[in-house]
Amino acid sequence: MKYPECFHCGEPVLTGSQFTTHINNSDRLMCCPGCQAVSAAILEAGLSNYYKYRTEPGSKQTALVPEELTAYSAFDLPEVQQDFVHSESDVSRVSLSIDGITCAACAWLIEHKLKHVQGITSILVNTTTERALVTWLPAQIKLSEILSQISLIGYQAAPYQVDDQEIQSKQNSRKFLLRLGLAGFATMQVMMFALALYAGYFTELEVEFRDYFRWVSMIFAAPVVFYSAQPFYFSAIRSMFSGRLNMDVSVSIAILGAYIASCIATVNATGEVYFESVSMFTFFLLLGRYFEQNARQKASVSSSNLHKLVPLTAHLLSNDTCEEVPAKGLKLGDIILVKPGEVVAADGTIIEGCSSFNEAMLTGEQTPVQKSDAGEVYAGTINVEQPVKVKITAIGQDQLVAEIIRLQESASNNKPKVALYVDTISNYFTWAILSIALLTYIVWKIYWPEDAFWVTLAVLVATCPCALALATPTAVTCATGIFTRIGIIARKPGVFEKLTKINHVVFDKTGTLTCGTLTITDIELYGQLGKSEVLEVAAALEVSSLHPIARAFEPYNNPQLIVSQIQSFVGLGLSGQINNINYRIGSDEFIEVTGDQSQSVYLSQGDELLARFTLVDEIRVDAKKTVETLTQQGCKVSVASGDGSIHVDEVASRIGISDIHKGLKPQDKLSLIQKLQKNASIAMFGDGINDAPVLAGANLSVAMGSGSAITKNSADLILLGDHLSRFNDAVTVARLTDRIIKQNLYWALGYNLFIIPLAVTGHVAPYIAALGMSVSSLIVVGNSLRLLRVRL
Amino acid sequence: MSMLYVLIPIAMLFVLIAIGIFFWAVKSEQFDDLDRQSVSILFDEDEKPVPNADDNESTPS
Repeated sequence: MKYPECFHCGEPVLTGSQFTTHINNSDRLMCCPGCQAVSAAILEAGLSNYYKYRTEPGSKQTALVPEELTAYSAFDLPEVQQDFVHSESDVSRVSLSIDGITCAACAWLIEHKLKHVQGITSILVNTTTERALVTWLPAQIKLSEILSQISLIGYQAAPYQVDDQEIQSKQNSRKFLLRLGLAGFATMQVMMFALALYAGYFTELEVEFRDYFRWVSMIFAAPVVFYSAQPFYFSAIRSMFSGRLNMDVSVSIAILGAYIASCIATVNATGEVYFESVSMFTFFLLLGRYFEQNARQKASVSSSNLHKLVPLTAHLLSNDTCEEVPAKGLKLGDIILVKPGEVVAADGTIIEGCSSFNEAMLTGEQTPVQKSDAGEVYAGTINVEQPVKVKITAIGQDQLVAEIIRLQESASNNKPKVALYVDTISNYFTWAILSIALLTYIVWKIYWPEDAFWVTLAVLVATCPCALALATPTAVTCATGIFTRIGIIARKPGVFEKLTKINHVVFDKTGTLTCGTLTITDIELYGQLGKSEVLEVAAALEVSSLHPIARAFEPYNNPQLIVSQIQSFVGLGLSGQINNINYRIGSDEFIEVTGDQSQSVYLSQGDELLARFTLVDEIRVDAKKTVETLTQQGCKVSVASGDGSIHVDEVASRIGISDIHKGLKPQDKLSLIQKLQKNASIAMFGDGINDAPVLAGANLSVAMGSGSAITKNSADLILLGDHLSRFNDAVTVARLTDRIIKQNLYWALGYNLFIIPLAVTGHVAPYIAALGMSVSSLIVVGNSLRLLRVRL
Repeated sequence: MSMLYVLIPIAMLFVLIAIGIFFWAVKSEQFDDLDRQSVSILFDEDEKPVPNADDNESTPS
C-alpha cells in the first residue's frame, strides 16, 4: 500500500487524515503534529508563498518537547552570550547555524518571518553555509525569543563553534577568488597579444609592433606574477626550509625565471618572451587551488555547523536560594540542584536524593544507572528521574570528560602517518627537473654559450609541472563534491588515499550499528484491552518521563488521555490515574510479576496485568548490508563496544560479525585498535564521547552525524543522516578517485618525459611550450571531471 | 596601424575598470552565496498579504 506524502516534509503519512492544514484553498495532509504546527505558523505569518517557491520538501518536524523550549532560556545569560554575541552600543549581533534549510525558499521564509518581529533590525540567511546573521535590539527582544521564533516555522537555530580552520579558510577563499579573477582577466589580454606574436613567427610582423605588443604583455603579466602567484612562492619557500621540495618550487622558479627573462628580452628587444605561458599556468594552477580551497571550506563550514554551542548551566543552591549560573562559573564544593532532564554540569557526589543517570555519552550503555546518596555523578550525563542535590568534587581539567579528551589528544599525536604519494613524487620530480636544467645549462654553456640561458629557460617552462600539480586537487575536489552530495563530510586531507587502504573495519555498537534509541518490537496482551489501547495508556503515563524507554512510546501519544497523580519510582517505573483508574508501568519487579528479560516493560491496571512490551535498540536498516559488502571486499569486521551485556553478541550475530570485543573502556578500545594496527589498516566507526580517543587513534575514523561534538572533532569522515551504507559508496568513490589520480599522474609525467628531450635540445618554441602545457592541463581537468558523472 | 597606440591603452583602461568591479563585487560578499541570489528575483514580494507585524508579536514564544 502506498501512503500519501506529507505536504510539508514529503514523508509518507501513516496517520490518515488526523493532521491537516488548510493551504492555498485546500486541505493538505500532514504526517505529524510537528509538521502541522509548522505549516500553520507559516500560514499565520502570511508566508504561504514558501510552498510555491520551494524546490525541495521541508525537513521533517519532531514535535517540540518542552525541555527544548526551556533550553533556549539559557542563551540569555550574559556569561553565556559573551562567547558568541557581538554587542555594539545598543545592538547585538549573532551568527546562527540553522538546521533544516533545504532550498533558497527556506532562506526567504526565515527572513520574511523574522523581519517583522519587533526588535530584530536585520536578518541575512546564507543558504550555502546554512547560517543566518541576526542583529537585534536586546532592549526589545531576547535571543531566546528569536531562537524560538525560528523554531516555530520549523528550523532549529543555534550558535555554533567556529573552527579556527574555518576562519582561515574563509579569508583564503576570498583571496584566492581575487587572485584567480585577476589572473583570468590578465591572461585573456596577454593571450590576445600572444596570438599576434605567434602569427609573427609565420608572417612578417614589424619589429616596432612586436616590441609594442611585448611591452603591453609585460604590463598585463606583472600583476599575475606579483600578486596572483604569491601563494606559490610562499609555499615554495616553506618547503625549502623544511628540506622536502614540493611542486611549488619548480612552479615558482619557472614563473619568476620566465617572467624576468622575458622582461630582459623585451627591454633589449631580443630573445623570446613567455608572458602568455607564465600567465596561463598561473591561472590554471590557481584554478586547481581555488577548487580545492572551496571544497575544503565547505567541509569546514559543515563541521562548524555541527558544533552547536549548547550552554551548559546549573542551578546553584546557596542560602536556600536557587539561581541559574553557567557551568564554567562553578567552584569546588558548590552545591547544585540537578532537575530531571538536565545535564550534570560538573563531576560531583550526590548529597540528597536518588535518581537514575543516563551515562550513554561516557560508556555507550543505554540503560540509565541508578545512583543514590554518595553516588558519583559525571559531567555530561543526564538525570532522568528525580531532582537531586550534588556537591561538586571536580571541575575543569580534573573531570572525567577532560581525561577522555586528553586521551584523544595523545592518541591523535600517535596516529600512523600516511605518506601521500603525490608529495613523494613531487619531491623527486622537482629535484630531477632542477638537475636536468642545471645540466642543460652547463652543456650548452660549454658548446653554444650564446643560447645556454634561453634553452635552460625553455626547459624550465616546458617542464613546469602544471598538469602534475593539477592531477590531485582536481580529482580530490570532484570526489569531495560527490561526498557532499551523498551526505559525507570529508574533514581532513588524505582521506581518499586512506580509504583505499582500509582492510579492517571496527564498529562501535550503540548509536553506530544500532539507532541508539529503544523501539517497541513486541507486545503481549494479558487483559481485555487491545493493542492500540494499551499503547495509548502506556504513552500517556510515560509522557512526562525522561527515561530512554519513555521515548519509545512517544509516537503513540493521544493528547485526549489526561493522566493525574503521576508518581515516579526511581529505577522501577511510574504510576498514575487515567479516568480514575490506577495504572502502573515499569519493570517486572515493580509490577510484581516474574519476568524473563530485562528489556521488557509491564503495564498493569490495579493488580491486573495488561501487557508486556519488548523493547529493543533497533539495528540500523543498512547495517547488515554494509557489513556484507565490506566482507565481500575482503575487509575484516569487528565490534568494539562499551556495553558488556549479552545484547552485544545478539546484535553482532544478527548483523553477521563474529569478532566481538565488549565491555571496553575508552582506553581499552584505544589499545585494542593499536594492537590491530600492527597488521592492518583500521577504520573505526563511533558516535559517543567514549569513542573519541579510539577515533583519534585509528588510521581512518568515521563519526556519525548524530554523535557528540568531541567525537566528530577527531573524525576524518562524518556520516550525515547516519546512513552506514554510505561508507561503501565512499570506498567506491575513493577507489575511483585513486584510479583517476594515477591516470592523471601518468599522463602528466608522460608529457614531461616527452617534452624534456625536445626542450633540452632546444626545439621548443614558446608557443609550443604554452600550447603543450595548456592541453595537458585541460586533459587532466577533463579526466578528473569524469568523476562527477559517477552515479551511486 | 598607428591607431593601435591609442586603442590598446583604451582597452587596458577597460580591463582595469572590469578588474575594479570584480574586486568590489568579491569584497562586498556577492560571491558568498551563489545558490540563493540566483533565484531570489523569482520570489516576488507583491502577493504577500500585508505584513502581519501584529500577528508575529502576539505569537507565543
